[in-house]
Amino acid sequence: MSPVIPVGPYHPALEEPYKIELVCDGETISDSRITVGFNFRAIEWLAERKNYTQDLALVERVCGICSNVHTLTFSRALEQLAGVEVPERAQHIRVVVHEAERLHSHLLWAGIACELIGFQTLFMTCFALRETVMDVLEAVSGNRVNYAMNKPGGVTRDIPDPAAVIAAAREIGRVTSEQLVPVLTGDPTVRARCAGVGVLTREEALAWGALGPVARASGLTQDMRRAAPYEIYDRLDFEVPVRSEGDVLARIVVRALEIVESCRIIEQALDGLPAGPIDCGDFLRIPAGEACARIEGPRGEVFYYVASDGSDVPTRVRIRTPTFHNMPTVALMVAGQQLADAPLIQASIDPCYSCTDR
Amino acid sequence: MGPDVFEELREELGIGSPWEARGDGRWVEAGDLDPAAVAARLLAREARFVTLTATPTSDGGFRLLYHWDLGGALLSIAILVPGARVASIAAVCPAADWVEREVRDYYGLDFMGRDDTPPLMLREGDERALFVRTQALGRDADPADTARRTGSGPAAQPPAAPAAWSGEPNAGGDDDPDNGGGPRR
Repeated sequence: MSPVIPVGPYHPALEEPYKIELVCDGETISDSRITVGFNFRAIEWLAERKNYTQDLALVERVCGICSNVHTLTFSRALEQLAGVEVPERAQHIRVVVHEAERLHSHLLWAGIACELIGFQTLFMTCFALRETVMDVLEAVSGNRVNYAMNKPGGVTRDIPDPAAVIAAAREIGRVTSEQLVPVLTGDPTVRARCAGVGVLTREEALAWGALGPVARASGLTQDMRRAAPYEIYDRLDFEVPVRSEGDVLARIVVRALEIVESCRIIEQALDGLPAGPIDCGDFLRIPAGEACARIEGPRGEVFYYVASDGSDVPTRVRIRTPTFHNMPTVALMVAGQQLADAPLIQASIDPCYSCTDR
Repeated sequence: MGPDVFEELREELGIGSPWEARGDGRWVEAGDLDPAAVAARLLAREARFVTLTATPTSDGGFRLLYHWDLGGALLSIAILVPGARVASIAAVCPAADWVEREVRDYYGLDFMGRDDTPPLMLREGDERALFVRTQALGRDADPADTARRTGSGPAAQPPAAPAAWSGEPNAGGDDDPDNGGGPRR
């Protein structure tokens, strides 16, 4: 009988609970079973019993790291329902915070990946850069997490010192280009540890609906900022990094290159920051109807569906997070791999269990 | 992607109603169309399954919105289900596996054609249809209480915390062996 190695739901290296049972044939993983739901909070149920203002605070707490994407997607769904145009300046500010959150998420993940690879010095570099982003987010929003920047029709705060944010983005982009990317793409230790490990093919990624950097590391090209542009993304110059290898290394490289692109986007959004209001005034009513919104979060497409009967409480709120689709692909990635590679492979999707469980 | 593609697709799927083109994609009411057949046609065009939104209707059925991405365009295809059973699409579209399990957990909808539908957010042995059962207890009922109920019985209570955790001045204390015998923090 093959031994089964249970990992989780509580794990010393992860703050969030999930369980993967690895069926092993010697040191090789032959099968696996993933269990989620340990952090299930019935957020969709709760959202259908609170008013829209309360829901904005609620959805911000779907995720600790990518909290901003949830208020942004929810706000966009309400704006679609109400037929509201967001002022130009607010759209620029939204993009700046959206990309700063992506930097924060990717740098956090890159640091953890470096630690799992055994590359402690690079871990320190990533976390030092992440601290710079956290300082920017704190200076802009007053908070290091749960920024409360979005509201239907605009944003809640202006950016007090755009020049300082541009300088920080330039510095993060420079260090990432000069230090992080060359090491992650060329260092023999990283290559030996990550190349050819945990492969997800393009066909598998498509069939299982993989999203974000996980999908783009497997040759799928879609990025919602380019495929279905929102805010000012259709006017910005940026690349969408894509790799075809589908392994852990490809997922690392895609995210590292995305850090550089996010810095470029922040610079452009602030360079062209127009004068004007940051919101379109108070919302009086959300009319009856239904609407969807999608944006490209750090881990991939975030989807919201909101239905309204015209009252101040939505009748249906549906939240689909990217890890919900990326997580099942771990079972494909670990099959046939060494047991010792399982932690790195599961970390390579940058999982968010809070998002998944909601 | 030109509008002809969507019209072609609508004819291919046998949907009588026209697409409604909106700012958030294209919407169509597809009646009682077989979702598995729709999935197979869309996957042949390299469409990506986005998710499924299930909404209970007042007559005991469901309105199921299947959301697909076709070349960056969001398609929302509404299917009406009179009861609590519908064809599964997970066999042709693995991306739908977890969503169907989740919908069954929340609303008790059975997806036909699957070998099994294990719980996703609930645990093995839990009663399904958590949200429907909670709704039956009143608008402000708590799904966490419902999850602990079996049948129509009262909700089981979680285990009580040790007395030393109660915050009472005399509970536990420096001499309490459960408190490590050290100063309280």
